[in-house]
Formats: sequence, C-alpha cells, structure tokens
Amino acid sequence: MVSKTEEAQVNRLENQVDNGGGGAWEYLCLVRKLKLRRSDKVLKHGLSILNEPSKRSSLGHEEWTLYEQVAIAAMDCQCLDVAKGCITVLQKKFPDSKRVGRLEAMLLEAKGSWSEAKKAYSSLLEDNALDQVIHKRRAAMEKAQGNLSGAIECLNKYLEIFMADHDAWRELAEIYVSLQMYKQAAFCYEELILCQPTNPLCHLAYADVLYTVGGLENLQAAKKYYASVIDLTGGMNTRALFGICLCTSAIGQLTKGRNKEEKESLGLQSLAATALEKDYKQRAPSKLSLLSSTLRSLKLS
Amino acid sequence: MGGELRYEIGQTAYIKLVLHALKHKTAAVNGVLLGRLSDGDAVEIADAVPLFHSHLGLLPPLEIALLQIEEYYGAQGMAIVGYFHANERFNDFELSNVARNIGDHVHRYFPQAALLLLDSKKLEALPKGKDRSPVMQLYTKDSSKSWKQVGSDGSSRFSIKEPSANIVLLDYISTQKMQDMVDFDDHLDDISKDWLNPELGK
Repeated sequence: MVSKTEEAQVNRLENQVDNGGGGAWEYLCLVRKLKLRRSDKVLKHGLSILNEPSKRSSLGHEEWTLYEQVAIAAMDCQCLDVAKGCITVLQKKFPDSKRVGRLEAMLLEAKGSWSEAKKAYSSLLEDNALDQVIHKRRAAMEKAQGNLSGAIECLNKYLEIFMADHDAWRELAEIYVSLQMYKQAAFCYEELILCQPTNPLCHLAYADVLYTVGGLENLQAAKKYYASVIDLTGGMNTRALFGICLCTSAIGQLTKGRNKEEKESLGLQSLAATALEKDYKQRAPSKLSLLSSTLRSLKLS
Repeated sequence: MGGELRYEIGQTAYIKLVLHALKHKTAAVNGVLLGRLSDGDAVEIADAVPLFHSHLGLLPPLEIALLQIEEYYGAQGMAIVGYFHANERFNDFELSNVARNIGDHVHRYFPQAALLLLDSKKLEALPKGKDRSPVMQLYTKDSSKSWKQVGSDGSSRFSIKEPSANIVLLDYISTQKMQDMVDFDDHLDDISKDWLNPELGK
C-alpha cells in the first residue's frame, strides 16, 4: 500500500524517464523501495542501464542488485531469456549463493515447472528455514496455479511465524475478499490495523468489508472506521465520505422508527455530503448533478 | 429468457473493456454494460463503464458506481444490460462467485442480461489472425437459473457491431492507449478523473 504522494512521485519519475529525461536509476530504486509491480518499465529501463557498460560500471556494487531486479521483472514479463541472462551473470559473480538459488527457483516457476520449483524451494529452506521470501513464493505458486485454498493455507502457516508481515496479511485479506470470505478478510484487516493504526487505508478496507457483510452492528462499526479515515486524512478521502453516506442510509433502513438513531446519524451524513459536494464542485463539476442525485437517493432510502 | 436473442456490442464499449483489462494485466477487473433491447430480438450493448481493478468483491464502491451510472445513462434511455469480468490469471476461464453475484444482480433488473468474460487466449492470438469476433465469452442466464455460455458452438449470436473493431483495438494497443483508461476506482481516488472516458467515444 503506497500513499498518494508516493504514487505521484513514482509516476512523475516514470514519466520523466519514459520521455528521455533521465533518472532511470532513481526510478528503479524507488520502485524497489515501494515494492511496486511495474515490470514492463523496470525491464525496459533496467536493461537500458545494464546494456551500457559505462552506465553499468557507474553503479558500483549496486550493479548486482539491478541484475536481480531486472531478472525478476523479466520473469514477470515472460522474457525468460533475459531473466536467464541476468541470473547467469549473478551465478558467475556469486557462486553457491542462496539468493541466486532463489532466483533460479523463481525461473522454474516462471516456466511453469511447478514441481521442480517446489523441490528447489524446499531444498533452499533446509538450509535456511526462516527465509521469508521463499515461504511467500510457495503461497504465490499456489495462487498462480489457481489453488486459492492452498495459497490461504500457506499464508496462514506463514503468518503464524511471521505475524508482523503487513504484506502477507494484506495479500491474505485480498484473497479472502475475492472468494467473498468476508469474516476472514475482516480478521486480517483487524491485524493490519493493530500493526499500522495510523494507516488510513487499513481502516478503509476494514470499513468496506464490514459494510459488505452488513447487519446493524457491522454498519455502525463501519461508520466509525470511515470516520477515522476522514480523521486520519483530514477529510480528503472520497471513499470514506461516500462510506459515511452509505452507512447512514443503510442504518436508517434497518432502524426505521427509532428516532434517536436517525437524529444522531443525520449530522454526520450531511457533513459528509456537504464535503463531497464542495469537492465535486471544485474538481469534477461535470459530475456534480450526478453526485447530488446519488446523495438524494441515499438520504431517502 | 434470452432464448434466441442476439447480442451485439458496439466498438466503443468493446474497446473500453479490453483496454481496461490490458491496463491492469496483473489484476482481475470488471465493468458494466449499458444499452437497450432493440426490436425484441437483440440486446444492443452501446457503451460500457470500467469499474474496478482491486477488491472487486466489496460493496461500497460498487453501490456508489451503480447509482451514478444508472442515473447518467437512464437519462439517455439506456439501462444496465450486463456485466464484464476479466480474471486475474491468463488461463482461468471460470466464472468467479463475484462475477456470478454481480451478474445475478443485473439479471434481476434486466432478465436478458449479458455476462461477458475476457478470453485472454483469444486476445493474445489477435495480432496473428484476422478474427473479427469478440475476444470475450458470452454467458446468459437461461431458464435453469444458471449462467450458460452462448455461442461456443460457433453460432453468431454474439458479435461486434463494427466489423473492423479488432483492427482498431490492435491499433490502440500498439499506441499504449490503455494508459488513458479511467475506471471508477481511479475516479474514487481522484474525482477529477472521468469514468465516462469521453475521448474514447466516437
């Protein structure tokens, strides 16, 4: 999960490099740091550095990191020859390296040689049982073969040991959501909120899941989490503002006739609605009338 | 329901959906189909709105999207006539539960609803051949209340209105036009982005 500013920064750099303005190494480092999946760009710009001896040598010992990054990007783009080329260079430089061994196993994965890759990972794990990357590759392989329940099992086992791995919790939550196993997804987001209480995106995802499950208690909890997103983002989150309106409307439907509930929630909903209308007026005026009728139908329903 | 109906998708709608899927190659994506029933014997899919590329199974963004989309297209005499889904994995031709559920919802309001699934193998083969048929599989809900594939026997019940649509599509792909696609996810992250994608219209 990257913040809006981080994403804007990467996109700006990407545009710059794409249009010949330089900064390829900076871009590649940022993509690596933010763990983004932009394999076609990484492949293109990474190779432009690696294929130029002068550019390559100016990297010093970072050259090997780049070979690794490009190898992985090449595998993602199914350019297996390029990947093999990079891995061969690394093998020559670091013979008997476990890290290179991992790349070799990933290449087997990319070729679709699942059982061979599995064997390779198992033998690598014998020497280093706590290699997080390898454990997660096993879950990724299950997912790649369409075995989502296998992926879930792998991730759950992994998280029993490495319970602070945000990315794994997030991946597991997303798999649960795709299978409509919302209660399990909610549990993952609860863990994420515990790990990163000030990350609004965790609160938002949790609120979305609670709303999807439905029921009065969940809707009321969802509303609280949408409110905390608004709090954490200074009111700048469109999804959370809509969330408040949806929750209030749904709660209103469930509690028709209970006056106290209605009065309490109307205040927050009208604040959210006003904020949305102000934003749309400024940044999406062509959609303002659509927004207004959407909000009207939520207030009435 | 949907017995011998033909389904015809307009070029704009078709291209929007495929470009959206290509923009987010590593994710599952979905969209809604807009159009009308014409002369009682064909469903005309005149436009499409790409919806999401993450968390397809969550309700709040879907509800907001459908409210706005129904409002906009209703004013133009069009209704939601179907749903498009592209799976995350290349050779996955299964209709996921999310696709079925959203399809069911559309079907409740429009019984002749079309459920379209991206055929990535066909899409990959497109540059190599002269195929004019859509790179999608069509499913409709028959009287047995389950989604069944239509036209897999080579019949022409599902076609693109403009015969050269695939050529236009390939041209757009080569000029990286998919980067300009805006879906509802993008709109919710930045409301200045327009999910109507007006520059891709005729």
